[in-house]
Amino acid sequence: MHDSQAVLDTTLAPLVALVGPPNSGKTTLFNQLTGLRQKVANYPGVTVEKHVGKVGLKDGRELDLVDLPGVHGFSARTLDERVTRDVLEGKLEGMRAPDALVLIVDSTRLENQLMLVEPVLELELPTLLVLNMSDELDERGGAVDDEALARRLGVDIVRTSARTGVGVSAVLDYLTAVQAGDPAAPYKERTLTNVPRSVSLPVVDAFAHRRKLVRDIVDEAGFVPPGPSKLSERLDSVFLHRLFGPLIFLAVVILVFQSIFTWAVPLMDGIEWMIESSGTWLVTTLPDTWFRSLLVDGVWAGVGSVIVFLPQILILFLFLGILEDSGYMARAAVIADRSMYRVGLQGRAFLPLLSGYACAVPAILAARTIDDERDRLATIFVTPFMTCSARLPVYALLIAAFIPDEPLLGPFMGLRAGVLLGLYGLGIVAAVGTAFLLKRTLLKARPASFLMELPPYRIPSLRTLALRLLDRSKIFLKRAGRIIFTVTVVLWAMTQFPRTESGAPEIEQSALGQIGHVIEPAIAPLGLDWRVGVGLVTSLAAREVIVGTLGTIYGVETADEGSLELIEVLQRDITFASAIGLLVFFAFALQCMSTVAVMKRESGGWKWPILQFAYMLFLGYMGAFVAFRIFA
Amino acid sequence: MQPLPVVQKDEAVPELRLGDVPLRQEVELISIDLPADQAEPLLERGVLPGCRICPVRSSPGGDPIVSVDGSLIALRRETAACLCVRLLTRFQEAT
Repeated sequence: MHDSQAVLDTTLAPLVALVGPPNSGKTTLFNQLTGLRQKVANYPGVTVEKHVGKVGLKDGRELDLVDLPGVHGFSARTLDERVTRDVLEGKLEGMRAPDALVLIVDSTRLENQLMLVEPVLELELPTLLVLNMSDELDERGGAVDDEALARRLGVDIVRTSARTGVGVSAVLDYLTAVQAGDPAAPYKERTLTNVPRSVSLPVVDAFAHRRKLVRDIVDEAGFVPPGPSKLSERLDSVFLHRLFGPLIFLAVVILVFQSIFTWAVPLMDGIEWMIESSGTWLVTTLPDTWFRSLLVDGVWAGVGSVIVFLPQILILFLFLGILEDSGYMARAAVIADRSMYRVGLQGRAFLPLLSGYACAVPAILAARTIDDERDRLATIFVTPFMTCSARLPVYALLIAAFIPDEPLLGPFMGLRAGVLLGLYGLGIVAAVGTAFLLKRTLLKARPASFLMELPPYRIPSLRTLALRLLDRSKIFLKRAGRIIFTVTVVLWAMTQFPRTESGAPEIEQSALGQIGHVIEPAIAPLGLDWRVGVGLVTSLAAREVIVGTLGTIYGVETADEGSLELIEVLQRDITFASAIGLLVFFAFALQCMSTVAVMKRESGGWKWPILQFAYMLFLGYMGAFVAFRIFA
Repeated sequence: MQPLPVVQKDEAVPELRLGDVPLRQEVELISIDLPADQAEPLLERGVLPGCRICPVRSSPGGDPIVSVDGSLIALRRETAACLCVRLLTRFQEAT
């Protein structure tokens, strides 16, 4: 089948698959080989990212390289493993079978890593085995006879240090040979294909058998395991210290937090200013038609409310990338695991929950690293309770309007800061309580095991970090952008109809205003009227949109969260108790269509997003009602 | 899901669990007392009956971090309590 396909696809460049266990330096090598010429998409129907890139070869031709997810085996227990297996076997829809393989392993842990090799060799494709991190192997006094290993496995072998780029040229040589249709074919009689596939054997026996083979192979190849990494040991004795470990963990969390809020703010203000001033410029240049209104109030405002989050997301991912690539993230997950476990989650949930403070959309995507499906669902279900940055303008406006600027804890904390902190706390409490509830009801399961490999500490590569940032921002703009943009334009249209003789209707008579009136009976028990109702609808695009909407409804020019004029009309129109209720509502309710869309994608259907939306809306409404009653 | 078969059980050696092993004491894994779906991730990472495991430190939360095949793996103590191990004799430790 493979041959006939190759004949059919003569116009296509050969496809080479990059396979390897996690932390073997696979992605670093992929980036070295493809650079900016890579594309990220999802494999059809599943939430596994597909990275495909073009490799420019030495003879000027090129081939396609696919970076498969890092896996430890092919048991198809996880999505990553299933996708990897299907791609390798050429069974994945919409993807041709690979013509050759590049198998990359961490040579300092050769024995452990070769467990993956045997099933891959069974495929009998031309294979290059890349012994990565060979510089580290040498430094720490390890050794392996490449040629003996190559003979025994029947593959070509190259030593690399993907981080520094050593050996990448030799990988290119191999790929050039693949393109020329002349890769060294595996010596069939020496491959490990005589190993029985593990179908009929008890699992342990199959693994034990494979393990024994691997031991024989590394013994024959004269593998000397390197001494333990002294640096990693020393760092671990600090980062995993009983006392310092949790303290450093806290410091890291605070640092990430600080960076999202302090460093990103000037950039976000800058972007806001650019969008606003260019909008104003458009208003003065274009004639006053519905088209100008669509362009400025619909499209332009929509684009603006998406990209304003970009600095924050970039800074967040820069930090997370550094933590991940340096090896600290695995330690952080171990430290977080005990407390997460008590709630019903696991250590890996810490990363998405932390990301949720910037934006739930990338946070939900980050939960893909959670291997246990129930844990992952519970995590993405509670992630939107984390106080994302879109809530902040809403909080800022209502707090400035209704909470007096008084000291709360003497000179240490003002009442306003205390309320803000309380809202953050409310989100955490809701997340914890919901996770606890979910794991005892809908996602009930035996406690799954938590297993975390702690890779040696390494200095992150700038190239990999930069490419990942590029990648993440593209995904964010695509996912959130499409939704926010659509919702903004639809909302704009709803302010334009039904048309009156003089053009657009007054907001109260517009379709949007009428929806506000329809909602009014529901929010009347909270002491709110149709105006806030309209704001609640528009804030579905992104929560902070309510600020601008209230400005429009009250006829306040340039309404932002610091606008005194807007604060004054709100103080006149909304009672203190209703304002507190509204704050609580925004702390709980899922006022974000982008999150709903991402949830649908990541949970594979409408069931979870609908349940989540209804649950959070209910919690928000009840919370607001209780708060309104208490303070009325 | 059935528990995995006990591969090798030396009746003479009192059954010891990985969770009870002191730090820096290398032991040999005898069997994994976990359902297959939970044992597989362990097996794939080389935590197999017959392999040598050495607890190298414990996490701030009191969970074991062990060294297997040159890899560092963090487990929960609940998992470690399901791994039956035996101490290596002096002779075996030397090899």
